[in-house]
Amino acid sequence: MTQDDILTGVLLDEVALSLDELACACAVEPNWIVERVQAGFLGGIAIEQITRWQFTSPELVRARRLVAVERDFDANPELAALVADLIEEVERLKARLNAAGLPLT
Amino acid sequence: MEFRDYYQILDVAKTATADEIKKAYRKQARKYHPDVSKEPDAEARMKEVNEANAALSDPEKRAAYDQAGSRYRPGQEFQPPPDWGTGFEFSGDGAHGSYGESAEFSDFFSSLFGQAGSSRGAGEHRARGGDHHAKVMIELADAYHGAAQTITLRAARLDPAGHVVTEERTLKVQIPKGVKEGQHIRLAGQGSPGFGGGTAGDLYLEVHFKPDSRYRVEGRDVHESVPVTPWEAALGAAIEVPTPAGSVRVNVPAGSQSGRKLRLKERGIPGNPPGDLYLVLEIVLPPADTNKARQLYETMAREMDFNPRQGMGV
Repeated sequence: MTQDDILTGVLLDEVALSLDELACACAVEPNWIVERVQAGFLGGIAIEQITRWQFTSPELVRARRLVAVERDFDANPELAALVADLIEEVERLKARLNAAGLPLT
Repeated sequence: MEFRDYYQILDVAKTATADEIKKAYRKQARKYHPDVSKEPDAEARMKEVNEANAALSDPEKRAAYDQAGSRYRPGQEFQPPPDWGTGFEFSGDGAHGSYGESAEFSDFFSSLFGQAGSSRGAGEHRARGGDHHAKVMIELADAYHGAAQTITLRAARLDPAGHVVTEERTLKVQIPKGVKEGQHIRLAGQGSPGFGGGTAGDLYLEVHFKPDSRYRVEGRDVHESVPVTPWEAALGAAIEVPTPAGSVRVNVPAGSQSGRKLRLKERGIPGNPPGDLYLVLEIVLPPADTNKARQLYETMAREMDFNPRQGMGV
C-alpha cells in the first residue's frame, strides 16, 4: 500500500461488532464482556444466543470505559458501571446545553 | 531519549511500598482521568501515569527499572546498557502492558521493557495482533459530504531483529458521509501486526467534530445561530444562510423574535433518517454610532408605543 492509497473503513453501527470483536477491541476475554452484559452493565441485549450479540459505537465506548475504570481504580464491576452511567449522563446534559447554545467552559 | 522518573510522576518515594504505589496511582488517575479531569493536558498526563504504574506496580519491571535508572535524573539523556534485559525475566507480555495499552507508552518504556519481552512470542504461538484506538477530528462539513483525511499515528512495532520501536505512520482515511460525533470507523488490519502468522489487529478511529462556533451538533441534528437585522425579523425577509451543506435561501417569518428556531427538514447530517438543521435567529441591533443612526432610534422611541418590560409590571 502506498501512502497515497485511501483506506476505507467500516462505519460502526452500519456494521456492528460481534462479542469476540468487542472483546478484542477492549483487550479483554469474551467472558469479561459476557459477565457484564448478563449483569446489565453493558448493552441492552435481549437475545439469549450469545453468538448473535451485536455491539455498536456507544457500547464500544462504554466497554472501554468500564475496562479503564475497573483497571485504574481497582473498581468492582458494579462501581465501574455506576461511574460510566454518571459520565454518560454528564455527557448527555453537556450535549443538550451545547445544543441550546450554552456550552460549559 | 530522555530518562523518565516514574517515582516522580506518581509522586512517591523510591522506597514506596506496593500499597503506596497503588494509592498514589489511584490518586493521579482520579486527577487526570480524561473522562472527568479539567486539566488541559489530562490525556497526556494520564498516559504518563499509566506508564509509571505499569513499570512500578510490577515487581520484576520495578526491579529492572531501579537498576537501570539508579544513575539517571529526570530529563537526562538515557541509553539502555548493552546487556540490558539480562538477569531479568518479564512474566508479562513485555511491550504489551495492561490491556494492550502500551502501544501508547513512550519510547523510554518500550526500550526498557519491550525488548526483553519481545524475545518470546514470535514463532512460539500464533496470535492476532492487538487492536488500536485513536481519535480523529473532522470538520462538520466532512460529515455532510465525506472526505479523505490524513492522520498521523504513533505505534510500537517489532523491527526485523525483534526489537520494539516506536514509529509514526501516516494514513489517508476515507471519512464516510453521514458519520456522527463519537461514531467509530473500523479499519481492518491496521492495528498491531499478528505474531507467528496471526492476523493483524484493527484500528478504531473515534470521530469527533472540530469545534466551530457557528454550529452545535446533537446526534444528526445541527443547530446554527443566524444573525438577522431588526427589520428582517420584524418585517420578514428572504436571507441567504451559509450551512455545512452550502448556502441556502431561507424565509424569515415576519414578527420573529430572537431565539426563534427555523427547522430545515433533513438538512442535518445525512443518514437514515437524516438529521434536521435548526436555524436559531439572533436579532443584532445596528450600532447608534452615527447621527443618522441615532436619529432613526430616536424616531422609533418617539413614534413606537413599545414597552418590552410590560409583562414585568413596569
